[in-house]
Amino acid sequence: MVFAFFKKEDPGLGHIASRAVGMLHDARHSFDLATLALLDGASFSSVEEDVRATDARINQTEQDLRAELVVHVSVQGANDIGVVMGYTLLIKKIERIGDQAKNILDLAEEVGTIVDDEGGHQLMDERRRVSTMFADAASLLAEPNDEASVNAFIDDAGQVSADYQTKINDLMHSDLPGSVVVPRAIYYRYLKRIVANLRGVVSVVSEPLPNIDYLDDGATDITDD
Amino acid sequence: MGSVDDRGVSSIPAPARAALVIGLIYIFLVGVSSLETGIKTMGSDTTESLFSAVSNPIAGLCVGILGTVLVQSSSASTSVIVGLVASQKLGVDDAVPMIMGANIGTTVTNSLVSLGHVRHSNEFRRAFAAATVHDFFNILAVGLLLPLELIFGIVSGTAENISERLVGSAGSEWKSPIKAWVKGPVGWIKDGLSTLGAEANLLGTLMVAVGLVVILAALTFITKNMRALVADRVERSLNAILGKGGGAVAMVLGMLITIAVQSSSITTSILIPLAGAGVIRLQNAYPVTLGANVGTTITALLAALAGSSPEALTVGLAHTTFNVLGIVLLYVLPFARSLPILGAEKLAEIATTRRTMAVVYVFIMFIVLPLIGVTLLR
Repeated sequence: MVFAFFKKEDPGLGHIASRAVGMLHDARHSFDLATLALLDGASFSSVEEDVRATDARINQTEQDLRAELVVHVSVQGANDIGVVMGYTLLIKKIERIGDQAKNILDLAEEVGTIVDDEGGHQLMDERRRVSTMFADAASLLAEPNDEASVNAFIDDAGQVSADYQTKINDLMHSDLPGSVVVPRAIYYRYLKRIVANLRGVVSVVSEPLPNIDYLDDGATDITDD
Repeated sequence: MGSVDDRGVSSIPAPARAALVIGLIYIFLVGVSSLETGIKTMGSDTTESLFSAVSNPIAGLCVGILGTVLVQSSSASTSVIVGLVASQKLGVDDAVPMIMGANIGTTVTNSLVSLGHVRHSNEFRRAFAAATVHDFFNILAVGLLLPLELIFGIVSGTAENISERLVGSAGSEWKSPIKAWVKGPVGWIKDGLSTLGAEANLLGTLMVAVGLVVILAALTFITKNMRALVADRVERSLNAILGKGGGAVAMVLGMLITIAVQSSSITTSILIPLAGAGVIRLQNAYPVTLGANVGTTITALLAALAGSSPEALTVGLAHTTFNVLGIVLLYVLPFARSLPILGAEKLAEIATTRRTMAVVYVFIMFIVLPLIGVTLLR
């Protein structure tokens, strides 16, 4: 460990971005497993340990990176303060995505699988769609200079969130029994939050710091309840 | 978010900055040599009256504290002490308590940095404890080692032993290559001042003044440039300490960082906001400060190379010996290890309850008590 002083590495905060991408891959892993339990009949017990361990790893990484960001400011001064605050927001968003994946697992524990219910295929399609968005967000985080792709992702995520809100609204006024409607509405709510946080992750890369989490009309998009 | 590469911290390329640092070290050595020559140029009556004040070890200790508080750098004050010893006008026995005082005085910077957190109770408690753990270690080390030094000469004896093996016995003259390299510029300073009409005591005083200014300026720029040069390494080292905890490794990293930046105040001051934010625990910050204590002694050793007397090297080595022995007594021995931490935590608790106590502590510890010591015991 003493060799940390002599080791030659790229200067700056590049390693924070790499580890944030790692966190995003972990969050996707949790999401995939939790949704398998909820939608595809995988047994809760077979995925629980993995999801919770992955969530704990994400949380620990967030804490470690926060500490490293404070060290960076203490050593390097305030030159990178905007970048440091951006990374602080970014890793918090990824940590929240991990929490949402855990919430989906908790939902699976409560209601079992909902794949055989009406609309089950659509739920699986949405799962695939969101899972792909994890990969896209990770790519953009690793290579943030492709402005067109970043903007396309942000627009797409905004549209997906709006679609999920429409689905939630439809379910609220549905005549289906509560045991069918409620798990779906909650699931879509979690998907919406995950997509909003993925949008936030990519926005951190491109938007000015004061604007992150604020929509064009000035409303905030930070509620994770 | 922008790339980190855009930050523009280092407008000077690293190789050029490294070359600049080497040049600054040379200027620093010229400053030390100028100081030594200035003292030698003064009449013996003048130097006797100057240094009689520190013949009492407690007064010497207090002078060391005050001098270091004044320049906010133990590297600078110990280099000056080494320069004085090199001039043969200040003895090793008188210099060692001053060196110990410099060790205490340098911690004022941490305490001042920690006062910046005073508005937030929890943050301040952690920051102040991290600052004062260094004070407690140094005070306890002086409390234990100064009496042992006065009775048995434990610090100076050990240092003298090493010095003798390296360059020969006291009273002799060793051929320092650095001394020869800096001889030219020192001669130019002396000739320049003589041309202006200065001679004897005035010439000596002016050479001392030039030496002091050069030492302080050179050290300031060395520290500034080295900090820019090794900032990424410092950051990586601190991250390693956060990841793996404290102990001997943290101590070695604290020493390496301090050797690199030539300032224990820089190393320890970086720790204060980290401790305040709760990123580093007091138990982990503590060994880093001890490593910094050892690392900072490299400057006095460097300064000794500008002189040709073994005594100057002995004093430089005494600084290292004092800090290493302090670690052996207060860190290696398990029962003593927690004493500075407990003291710092208790003091931080009091200071958090009554914030003015923190300011009073700094004022009394670093200004009032040393002043009283110098006034009464000189």
